[in-house]
Amino acid sequence: MASLVDLLGASAGNVFRIRFHGRGGQGIKLGARALGSAFFAEGFEVQDAPRYGAERRGAPIAAYVRAGRAPIHERGPIREADLVVVADESLIPVATAGVLEGIAPASVLLVNGLTSAETWRERLRLRGPIATLPPAPASAGAPPAGSACAGAAARLVGAISRAALEGALREEVAPLGARAVEASVALALHAFDLMAPHAGSVVEGEAPRLAALPSPNWIDLPRELPDVAAPDVFASATSVEVRTGLWRTARPVLDPDRCHRCSWICSSFCPDGAISAGAEGLPAFDYDHCKGCLVCVAVCPSHAIRAVAEADAEGPREAAR
Amino acid sequence: MSETRFQRMNDLPSTHLLGGGTAMCAGCGGLQALQLVYDVLGAKTLFVNAAGCMTLLSIYPFTPFRGSWLYTAMACAPAGAQGARDALDLLVAKGRMPKQEDLSVVVLAGDGASYGMGLSSTSAAIDRGLDFLYVCYDNEGYGNTGQQASPATPPGARTATDGSASGVARPKKDLFGLWVANRPTYVATASGAEPLDLARKVEKAASLRGPRLLLVHAPCPTGWGFEPAEMAEIGRLAVASGVWPLKEWERDTGRVIHTKVRRPRLPVEEYLSRQGRFRHLFEPARNEPVLADIQSGVDAYWDAAG
Amino acid sequence: MSRRLLTGNAAAAWGARLARIDYAPAFPITPQTEILEALGGWIEAGELDAKLVLLESEHSMIAAAGAAAATGVRVFTATSSQGLLYGMEMVFTVSGWRAPFVLVNVSRGLATPITLEPDHTDVLAARDSGFLQIHCATSQEVLDSVLLAYRFGEDPRVRLPVIVNLDGFHLSFTREPVEIPTPEAVDAFLPPFDAGAVRFRASHPVSQAVAVLGSGPYSYFRYETHLAAQGALCVYDEAAAAFARACGREWPAVEAYRCDDAELAFFLIGSLATRARDAVDRLREAGVRAGLVRPRLLRPYPAAAIARALEGVLAVAVVDQNLSMGKGGVLHAELASALWGAPGAPRALVSFIGGLGGRSVTLEEFREMAEIALRAGREGRTPPPRLLYTAEELREVRKLQAIAHGERAALATEGRS
Repeated sequence: MASLVDLLGASAGNVFRIRFHGRGGQGIKLGARALGSAFFAEGFEVQDAPRYGAERRGAPIAAYVRAGRAPIHERGPIREADLVVVADESLIPVATAGVLEGIAPASVLLVNGLTSAETWRERLRLRGPIATLPPAPASAGAPPAGSACAGAAARLVGAISRAALEGALREEVAPLGARAVEASVALALHAFDLMAPHAGSVVEGEAPRLAALPSPNWIDLPRELPDVAAPDVFASATSVEVRTGLWRTARPVLDPDRCHRCSWICSSFCPDGAISAGAEGLPAFDYDHCKGCLVCVAVCPSHAIRAVAEADAEGPREAAR
Repeated sequence: MSETRFQRMNDLPSTHLLGGGTAMCAGCGGLQALQLVYDVLGAKTLFVNAAGCMTLLSIYPFTPFRGSWLYTAMACAPAGAQGARDALDLLVAKGRMPKQEDLSVVVLAGDGASYGMGLSSTSAAIDRGLDFLYVCYDNEGYGNTGQQASPATPPGARTATDGSASGVARPKKDLFGLWVANRPTYVATASGAEPLDLARKVEKAASLRGPRLLLVHAPCPTGWGFEPAEMAEIGRLAVASGVWPLKEWERDTGRVIHTKVRRPRLPVEEYLSRQGRFRHLFEPARNEPVLADIQSGVDAYWDAAG
Repeated sequence: MSRRLLTGNAAAAWGARLARIDYAPAFPITPQTEILEALGGWIEAGELDAKLVLLESEHSMIAAAGAAAATGVRVFTATSSQGLLYGMEMVFTVSGWRAPFVLVNVSRGLATPITLEPDHTDVLAARDSGFLQIHCATSQEVLDSVLLAYRFGEDPRVRLPVIVNLDGFHLSFTREPVEIPTPEAVDAFLPPFDAGAVRFRASHPVSQAVAVLGSGPYSYFRYETHLAAQGALCVYDEAAAAFARACGREWPAVEAYRCDDAELAFFLIGSLATRARDAVDRLREAGVRAGLVRPRLLRPYPAAAIARALEGVLAVAVVDQNLSMGKGGVLHAELASALWGAPGAPRALVSFIGGLGGRSVTLEEFREMAEIALRAGREGRTPPPRLLYTAEELREVRKLQAIAHGERAALATEGRS
């Protein structure tokens, strides 16, 4: 039986720290668990966890995987990741998603999307390695990006075999049914193969040296009066500062010639109140907040609104300020 | 009908009072209904909230409300409403606040609180004749925690806690009937899928005093398993198949009136088959006994309603 | 000024009346019910301009109290034991609303087993909640403490609800002389409720008590409530000084009785203090330099004042009328943490647990505790905590057990024959 000293002495050694980013509904939690299980099957000590918040389908979420040869003692969100996996490239400009938090020159960034690695390098001014994974062709039955990202991540860390990856996915996806399992496995193995040129490019981070750590910068919090020290919001409708338009993967676009100015059917059915009366009696769309649910597309009696993928949409994701 | 200002769709508000940017799911049927409710009620309101999905409408420092809001806990929003209502009345009565500063108190709660844990404080508030409007958004499960079965979950539905072959096996609790039995002022069911009907009922409820319930069907893409874009259609099918009756009751008349009746009703299958939570009734094979049970339950309701 | 015989409950009601409360959400529970009945009677007679509302549970009662305070009126409520526990979710919740009000707790032992008699486990269960706590030893103190509670809880630097605790039966139903201050004196001491920024009105929409996600903001709000509670120590001293000027009575945060040259001090809260004072006097007569330290404030915890009162004392006998299952007495643990490393701290803190469910602590038990504590101080060896219980008490329990078990045995015998 290992003594506590043995365990502590062997701990905090080199650990793979991997952070996944995606949107609710894209299978991020599943992908991270599959990677964790694959590491475990290869004999690693593992710790994986999703980051829970007010996540909703479409909203940014994160998940963490730690793997090492000794029991892992650290916990919680991974601030400095050896590998950052971005399942949806539209998250990169979303500050609150924290995709780029703690990225160091040695960190590897894997982005699932159509934009090239060179473009990312230039846009984000990153020095470290960047790999891209083309998204699977969109189809109603395709499993979400999480499986593909798990497959790609497995190849990047190098220490996970095809067999371990497949076994892990079969286990994690099983509750969703046989069809989902086969589709997930196929996607993951395809991504695994695609990443061959980058195999093993992710290395375990070293344990931090105590002396090199900065001071925690503690302060003495002053006592403040209740009008600031209570969780109260004294301003109206501050929620408009939250650009939920960034959740969208597709947006509604009006064809004014087909619009019959029918009297606010689209406006009355929009859950987010993002459609209101605009000029000439046409509906105006608040793209800052439209989440792309596309209910308006479905309810318009004259089919005057169509869905356009964000990638193809003209105009910025948000209204100009 | 002639007294309402909502005669046709044009009469519905064309801009919306509730701020955008909230954390409700894309396609949330509850939020869609809340837009209308808030447009009709206005900002001279204090929304007192019980724990549920809509608690996350306001996350520091963001709130969509142009009026006021107080989050309490899961079981006691009507009690919080009592305290606020009494305090507002006291402030006005004692001349410490001018009448124009007064607010209408509105409880906003999901079915989890309304059909279960909150019944104690709700029933007592009705006993006391509290002057408040209770808006329940019913997405037929404990939505915020992942759609576990609540007393509002309908028969046949699968949830996070009931994945059995036939889904939930007992009838949906009758909250409308429960309120009516307590003899409040006004009780109504509504749906965002029928916005005119909803707007009229909000208007009517707002014109009355005493305890009033608006029980609003809230189709839930995340919990029920359908694409967000289908939210309005699912809501419409619930009404058209007779699964979600639109009705109201007033203590003054003592009668239940159905405000919109579709004849002939669509078969319930057309509603059920569109949702993931009922998929097990169709695949891998049709579960005829359960489907028949559900249909006969709906038929029995309408036969009795006359 | 009028001096009358009042029970602790009546004194609490008088405190609320003199404070000109606006609103009293209520729910009945022994031994507090007389408080709300007194208020109800005065309201009906037009002697108190307030509204009393019966809620259906203490959880709802406290929710209503907090919501009314958050709307902007002066609120009073009362409960005990099981009721306080039933409302505990809201006790913790409403303190963070930073809307002050007063909750009188008539402390009573907790189930299991269910009882009606007093001790302190109930009120101490709320010690982490953010409510401030004042503990009373006499009916006079109850009345005065309600007034003090409004003054210091409503202070803009504090804005926290306050529990004023009195022992069931020993205080709640026991009449003793109480001087009722004049309304003029109280009005000079306690201004009308000023809701400040935390209130509801149409012209200033506000979303109160919203959800907070993220450890940074959450920690901020929690720390701020704690800092406000700690800061209430000096606000209390100011309020107590003002009260002394207005009504002529001193209520320091910590009562120290004959401590100046004490080598042995009893440390306890609540109405047991009056018997403890008596024990101190008897011990002094017998040549023991005994004293009594009685915190009145438990939250915020008046650590400095306690340490000062105990400076130079050799040994402390801590009498806990509460029990943290598996650990022991709460007062003892908190005292030890406050005194550890403090200069001049007593050499021995000896823990005694008694007085549960209304159990008396007798004079001979005080003498015994004094001897044990002094020995511990002199020998430098502290014995383990003692649960106060006598051979006679156990004999009585055995008799009851015999009945409880005897009946079944008798039936079993009959069944066989």
